[in-house]
Amino acid sequence: MAYSALDRRYALLGALLIAPTVLIFCAVIVYPLVSAIYLSLFTIFTPTLRGSWVGLGNYAALMQSNEFWRSLANTLLWTASTLFLQIVFGVAAALMLHQNMVFRALARSLILFPYFVSTVVAVLVWRWLFNDLYGILNHVMLAAGLISAPLDWLGSMPNAMISIVLVGAWKYFPFVVIAVLARLQTIPDALYEAAKIDGAGPIARFFDVTLPQLRDVLLIVILLRAIWDFKEFDLIYLMTGGGPIIATQTLPLMVYKYAFGLNDMGRASAVAVAMMLVMLVFMAIYLRLAGRNERENAR
Amino acid sequence: MADVRFDQVRKAFGQAVAVKSLSLSVASGEFVSLLGPSGCGKTTTLRMLAGLEFPTSGEIRIGSTVVNDMPPGQRDIAMVFQSYALYPHMTVAENIAYPLKKRRVPRAEREAKVREAAATLQLQALLDRKPRQLSGGQQQRVALGRALVRDPKVFLLDEPLSNLDAKLRAHMRAELIELHRRLGKTFIYVTHDQLEAMTMSDRIAVMHEGELQQFGAPKEVYERPANLFVAGFIGSPAMNLIPGELRPLGSGLGFAGAGLNLPLASGGTAGEALTLGVRPEDVTLGDGPFSGTVRVVEPTGHETIVMVASGDVTLVCRARPDVPLTVGAAVPFALRTSRLHAFNAVTGHRLPVTFAP
Amino acid sequence: MRHLAGRVVFNLFAWTVVLVLTFPLVWMILTSIKPQFELFRIPPAFWPEEVTFEHYRRLIDETPFLKYMRNSLLLGFATTFVVVIVATLGAHSLVRFRYPGRERLAQLVLFTYLLPSVVLILPLYLMMVRVGLANSILSLVVAYTTFALPYALWLLRSFMQGIPDDLEAAALVDGATRLEAFIDVILPQALPGIISTALFTFILAWNEYLFALVLVNTDEARPLTTGVMNMLVSAFNIEWSLLMAAAVMMSAPLIVIFAFLQNYLTRGFGAGGLKG
Repeated sequence: MAYSALDRRYALLGALLIAPTVLIFCAVIVYPLVSAIYLSLFTIFTPTLRGSWVGLGNYAALMQSNEFWRSLANTLLWTASTLFLQIVFGVAAALMLHQNMVFRALARSLILFPYFVSTVVAVLVWRWLFNDLYGILNHVMLAAGLISAPLDWLGSMPNAMISIVLVGAWKYFPFVVIAVLARLQTIPDALYEAAKIDGAGPIARFFDVTLPQLRDVLLIVILLRAIWDFKEFDLIYLMTGGGPIIATQTLPLMVYKYAFGLNDMGRASAVAVAMMLVMLVFMAIYLRLAGRNERENAR
Repeated sequence: MADVRFDQVRKAFGQAVAVKSLSLSVASGEFVSLLGPSGCGKTTTLRMLAGLEFPTSGEIRIGSTVVNDMPPGQRDIAMVFQSYALYPHMTVAENIAYPLKKRRVPRAEREAKVREAAATLQLQALLDRKPRQLSGGQQQRVALGRALVRDPKVFLLDEPLSNLDAKLRAHMRAELIELHRRLGKTFIYVTHDQLEAMTMSDRIAVMHEGELQQFGAPKEVYERPANLFVAGFIGSPAMNLIPGELRPLGSGLGFAGAGLNLPLASGGTAGEALTLGVRPEDVTLGDGPFSGTVRVVEPTGHETIVMVASGDVTLVCRARPDVPLTVGAAVPFALRTSRLHAFNAVTGHRLPVTFAP
Repeated sequence: MRHLAGRVVFNLFAWTVVLVLTFPLVWMILTSIKPQFELFRIPPAFWPEEVTFEHYRRLIDETPFLKYMRNSLLLGFATTFVVVIVATLGAHSLVRFRYPGRERLAQLVLFTYLLPSVVLILPLYLMMVRVGLANSILSLVVAYTTFALPYALWLLRSFMQGIPDDLEAAALVDGATRLEAFIDVILPQALPGIISTALFTFILAWNEYLFALVLVNTDEARPLTTGVMNMLVSAFNIEWSLLMAAAVMMSAPLIVIFAFLQNYLTRGFGAGGLKG
């Protein structure tokens, strides 16, 4: 559809500028993606990388495997719980930081910090806080009379799941804070004043004015965080390693375990592909939403 | 010299056609306005001339050169954008010097020309400022300075005054007219504001839905609109358009509609659906063969705009401020038959019909 | 007066919340400067009785920490360098050029941005082994582009969409070629966005764990994340104060970025944060 020589020349230049991106994408994303699906049709012994064709055998085995279903259930449980806490804490903190308070800029920086800190750092700190003998958490709770004996935070259930959910909420709620805070700043004061004149109290104002305005941003944030929480590996792997036994093992951990612990790369690929299929649902919704927003912004 | 010619130029964006087969010639040194409501294709036309969009078909010439495949920078044009498009990270002087720099003009000459342009536009004191430190009017001058510094053959202006306040706009209009007179270059000016087009242009090209409606001098466009669109678009308040038809009247034909009966002097066929066009100033209130009811009176000081109901239409009229008018009262009125317009109600085209005095 | 009292109560409450949320990080710093024996006191004391930097000295002298740090810096800078250059060109192309397939490509970018690393990691591992890149920093740079490039592209695309089209058009009319317009006008305008993107990319690379775990198995190429974790796992007797010192040191670049460049970070969030 290029009409003039100049138009064609521009299109060529455009293609040239995007070429490195396309080449890299093909090499490190498209090709691996396709070969992940291909690998899942083999059984491959990791140390030798020799394999034999099993067709859909890996998938059939997965459907029969309790471990797979358990891991999927764990993934969903972890995602739903930690996401819920992230949203609740995130919105609350954003509302708080939106008010006038002394040293607000500093408070904002401090709140954001957990999000930018490496998961490794977060895990080290929390494992030290959770330490059953010397961890300060047990001591504080003992002193406050909340518990009568030190808790085993990471080694028993349901504590382990609760612990990773809490740490996940702590690490990722700042994302919600930033997004919501940015949106809050664009809500016109006139809306609140109008609501006040109409006799709405603070609570009514939150539900009738603030929340509807936050709807779009929350929808996007929930989807994005759901996708990211679903594929979280570092935090869970480093906190509990999936344990006790497989009580906190999510799908990404199962992929890793099968590939490098049990040396069955074919089965691991099948888990990864199955996991991606589940995620595609979220991703499709997100892509549609993002596309819609983009078209609206373009207008 | 730099005349500009569009020859059956068409531009489509996918399914949407922005410009349909446009043919237009602008003489060298002429000031031409492309006038029309938003979405009429005027900006696309200008951008095609600038080389920022490419025609789907047809030919664009500047002078004797076909410029279709020529990059904007080689077309020897300058453009002033509605948003001014000043480079925010450059000072005023750097902004004005940029086109010269891209043409490899030596530094000393560049500086001299920037000073000259700055003097013309009274920007000397602002040369070291950044665009965001300037007022809207000053930014507008810098944009003009950047256009005129390199002495192009054709100036393209895309709604350059629409972001200014009313007072400044009137002032800049006068300055642009003066600038055009002094430079003697071809100016092509896109606007949706008929006042700008009427006051500044040698000729106006009225566009609507991607098509050229009429191309003529302001007086011609106003006095002899080629079709219903131009008739309704040019003039403020807008021309009264009265639906009706031609019927036998006395020995000849007459227009009948909205309770009016007007004998024709020439032209027309019986039974033809016709829309009568009456400019507000061509209705004289206080005396005449017709009668209406005063609905609204809007005094503006030097004149009074009056809405008069006649039959099932409301006529907008211009009256002298000293004509006494009461809302609700009946008022006799006359039409200046020598200045009435007639259009085919179906095609919208102007009809060669004249009315009996 | 009631108003004032309300303000004081609110401020106290808000700051308590902030301090509770940042407590883990405060505790990290405090632990890192306490002598080892103070850690095992029951009940534990909040402030150190004696401040010591012994753990930091040991970290530097007796562990491969500095080597990890060097690897991480190299990895961070190399990834940022490659990704930002490729993404700047790519984003410019996606925003200002018209060619078939452009919209699809933009969608693909967003899609890959959401793609889980664990799906790509097995084929990437096989690929690295086959081409002999395994156990090198280069293999990690390549692997990091899988998430950093889509991210940077998306972020930069948002930034560049915010630059008015008229600026490039003006430069073209003024006699610039499209490449010159890119260099003279678009790049200076996009610079804050490019800085934000570079910071985010660096932080992503600095914090990455999974690829480093799978692709690198030698101290020569190991970055801080897996290196420090190794210290935890391999130690017979976990030395928490040493690990906390490592955690503090690991976070130091982030603190620097936060202190001096926070505007760029928030800007990054504003532009692409939600989408990316």
